[in-house]
Amino acid sequence: MAEKESLTEVIAIAEGATHDPGIEKKRFNFLVWVSERGIVVFTIVLILFAVIFVNGFASLPNITDVFYRAAPIGIVAVGMTFVVISANYLDLSVVAQVATAAVIFIGVSNEYGLLASFAVALLVAMLYGVVNGVAVGYFKANAVIVTLSTTFIGLGLLRWISGGSIFFGPEDGPIRLFGQVKIGPVPLSALVLLVITVILWWVLTRTNFGFTVRAYGSNKEATRLAGVNTGLVVIGAFVITALAAMVAGFVLAAFSNTAVSAMADGYDFRALAAIIIGGTSVFGGKGSVLRTLLGVIFVSVLTNILVLSGIGFGFQQMAIGALIVAAVSVDALARRAAKK
Amino acid sequence: MTTPPVAETPAIAASGIVKRFGGATAVDGVSISVRPGEIHAVVGENGAGKSTLMRILAGVIAPDEGTVMVNGTHIDRGAKASLDAGIALVHQELSLVGEMTVAENIVLGTTPTALGFIRKKKVASIAAEALAEIGVSVDLKEPISRLSVSLRQFVEIARAVARKPRVLILDEPTATLTPAETDYLLTMLQRLAASGIAIIYISHRIPEVFRICTSVTILRDGKLVETTPIADTTPSAVIDAMVGRELKLDLQVRRTASPGDVVLAARGIRAHNVNGVDLEVRARQIVGLGGLVGAGRTELVRAIVGADPRQAGTVTLTVDGVAHPIGSYGSAVRAGIGYVPEERRTDGLALSMSVADNVALPNRHTLSRWGILRLGAISTFVTNLADVVGLRPPQILREVGEYSGGNQQKVVIAKWLGREPKLIILDEPTRGVDVGAKAEIHRLVRELADKGAAVLVVSSDLPELLELSGLIHVVRDGRIMGTLAGVEADEKSVMSLASGETMVGA
Repeated sequence: MAEKESLTEVIAIAEGATHDPGIEKKRFNFLVWVSERGIVVFTIVLILFAVIFVNGFASLPNITDVFYRAAPIGIVAVGMTFVVISANYLDLSVVAQVATAAVIFIGVSNEYGLLASFAVALLVAMLYGVVNGVAVGYFKANAVIVTLSTTFIGLGLLRWISGGSIFFGPEDGPIRLFGQVKIGPVPLSALVLLVITVILWWVLTRTNFGFTVRAYGSNKEATRLAGVNTGLVVIGAFVITALAAMVAGFVLAAFSNTAVSAMADGYDFRALAAIIIGGTSVFGGKGSVLRTLLGVIFVSVLTNILVLSGIGFGFQQMAIGALIVAAVSVDALARRAAKK
Repeated sequence: MTTPPVAETPAIAASGIVKRFGGATAVDGVSISVRPGEIHAVVGENGAGKSTLMRILAGVIAPDEGTVMVNGTHIDRGAKASLDAGIALVHQELSLVGEMTVAENIVLGTTPTALGFIRKKKVASIAAEALAEIGVSVDLKEPISRLSVSLRQFVEIARAVARKPRVLILDEPTATLTPAETDYLLTMLQRLAASGIAIIYISHRIPEVFRICTSVTILRDGKLVETTPIADTTPSAVIDAMVGRELKLDLQVRRTASPGDVVLAARGIRAHNVNGVDLEVRARQIVGLGGLVGAGRTELVRAIVGADPRQAGTVTLTVDGVAHPIGSYGSAVRAGIGYVPEERRTDGLALSMSVADNVALPNRHTLSRWGILRLGAISTFVTNLADVVGLRPPQILREVGEYSGGNQQKVVIAKWLGREPKLIILDEPTRGVDVGAKAEIHRLVRELADKGAAVLVVSSDLPELLELSGLIHVVRDGRIMGTLAGVEADEKSVMSLASGETMVGA
C-alpha cells in the first residue's frame, strides 16, 4: 500500500473499510431469486412431479416422444436467444425460416441430392440473417416489425414457389434415416439440440462476438462508444438465429419425412416462451443459452404432462400464455427490485 | 446565535426516519425540520442518504420507522398524499417527457380538465404563470426534447412551482448548470423562500449552500451528524463534518511538464451546434474546454471523435510521426483515442455487466486470440487496472450498477487506460462524484498526461477546469471565443468569455 499517494486513499485506509463501502449491498429478494435461479428448481420439481404423479410419463416411449418434440423448437430457441440477449425482442421470421429449410431439405434433395439441399438451405439461412440484421442493426428498424415482414415475404415466397404442396421424402432416404436413429431412448435430433446448445453457449460466453452481443444488449450506446461495430453484432445475432432455424428445419423434416410451408407455425412464440421462461431478460443483456435449454425442457415436459392427463390443446395454449405473462412480469419486477 | 421562534410550526418536520434496504441502512434515525421561508441545505457525500431521505419526505418511498408531519399534521403515505399536502420534489434525474411541450410537461399529473377534456387555455395560463414565477422565458409550445439540459432543469422547477408547494425540495439542481445559470437559480430560490415556501436544498457545492441557505443538515452514512445555522459554521467545518475527517484538497498543484508534439489536430469542425472550430492538443498537455452548458462543447468533442457525424472539417491524430485521419468513431478508437462520455450511466457503462466485462470491452482484441476470449488474461488485466484507478472494493466480477457514482466513473476511465491512449477526451469527468473520488480522478488525468498522452477535458466545474488545464479554450455558440494559458486563467476571465449574453431563455 506504500505506493498509494492519493490523499483520499490514505484517509480511506485510516478510516478503515467500514466508512465507504463504495457498493450498494444486494439484499435477498424473492423475485430476483425466481428470475435468476427459479427455472432450475421449477424444472426439477416439475420432472419429479411428473415421474411420481403422472401416469405414463416415466416410460421410455414417452420420454423419446418428449425428446422428439423438444428438439426442433429447442434448436430454434437456443439460436434465437442471441437476438433476445441483444435486446432486439425476438425473430418472428423463424416460422418462415424453419419451414423454408424443411421444404428445401426434402424438395431439393429429392431432385438434386442431399448436398445440394444443404447448400441451398445454408444460402437461404444466411440471406434471412443478413436481411433481418441489416434492417435492424444498420437501419435501426424495429426488430418485431422487420421480422414480421420478412415472415410474410418468406412464407409468401415459399408458398408461391412450392405451390403450397406437401413434399415427401423417400422411405429409404438419408433424411428419413436420420429421423429414425436413436441411442437408447434418445433420438439423434435431441443430441443435435444438445451439441448446438453447447456450441452456442461457448460462442456467447467465450468468444469476442458473444461478448459484444451481451454488451450490446446491456447498453447499445456504451458498446458503440467502446469502439464496437454494433451493426455487425446485430447481423451476427440474426445469422446465428437463422442457422439454428435451418438445422431445426432439417430435424423437423427428418421427424416426419415431410415438409410443408405451414409446418413451423407458432414456432416464433413457442421459442420465445422457452427463452423467457428460462429467465433470459426481454430487456436484453441478461440470459444464457443454457437457461433456454432448461426453458425448453420445462415447456416440453409441461406440455407432455397436459397431453398425458388428457387436457386439450386449447388449455395447453392458455397455460403457456399464462406462464409467459408470469415470467415476463417476474423479470420486470425483479429488475425494479434490483434497482431499488 | 439565531434561534428560530419556538411557536412557529415547521412547514415540514420529519423525526426518527429509518429506511433499510435489505441489510443496509440507508437512513438511520434522521430528524429534520424546515420552517416556512427557510432554505435548508442537506449535504453529505455520495451515498450519505440524502436522496433517500428526500424521497421519503416526498412520499415516493415509505420509511421503515419515523413520521413526517406537514404543517403540524401527519400525512398519509404515498406520493399522491404528499403532493396534495404541498410537497414538491425536483428530481436529480430529469423526469420530463421529451415529446411533449413545455406547457404539457408543467401540468403533467395535475392537468386541468373539463368533462375529461383538457382545458388548453388553463394549461397555458398555469404554465405561463409558473414560468413567470421563476422568471424564465421559454416558448410554451416548444417540445422538451428541443431544449438544452439547463432549460429542462428550469422547466422541471417550474413544474414543481406550478403546484403552489408549501415545501420545495431540490436534489442537486445545479449539477447540470453553469455558474451563471446557477447564480440565477440561487437568486430565484431566495425569492421563492421570501414568499413563504420552505425549501430543502441538496448540493455538493458548498459555496452555494453558504450563499443562500439559512441552516444546514449534514448527513454521513445515513446518520445525522448535525444541523446548524449557517451563521454558526464555516465551509471547511461543513466539509469536515461531511467526510468525517480533515480533507485538504491541494488545489494548487500545477503541472510543470512541457507540452510535446501536436497529437490531435482538428480543423474547421462543423456539426450540430458546432460552428467552425480549430483545435490542437499536444502530448503531455491538458487542454480544457470551458463554457456554459449548451455552448456546444459536448457536441464538439463528439464530432472530433466521430461519435456524431461532422458536417465539415478534418481531424488527424499523429502517433510517432504517423498521421492517422479520423473519420468514423471506429477509426478514432483504432488510432488510439479514448473517449469518456458525459453521461456515464447511459453512454459509458453497461450497468448490468461486471466491472471486468466493461473494462474488457474496448480491449477485447488484445484480450482474445482468434476471437476467443482469454479469461485469465482478462482477470489479470482488469485487476491491475482496478488497482490503478483505485476501485473500492476491487471486486471486478461485481455488476458495475452496484457501485457508487465515483467508482463507476473510475471504471469508465479504466476502460481506456488499458489501451494506453494517445489522446483521451473526458467530458465532465467528475460530475456527481464525491470529493474523494474527484481527487483521485484528477490524479489519474495528470498521470496520463505526464506519461505522454494528450488530454482534452470538458468541465463546467470551474475550479476543476482551472486546476487541471494547462490551456483553456472557452466555447460559446459552438465557437472558441478565447484561449487562456493555465497560469493566467481565473474564474472571472473564463466566465467573461463564456457568457456576455442573457442568462436563460430565448
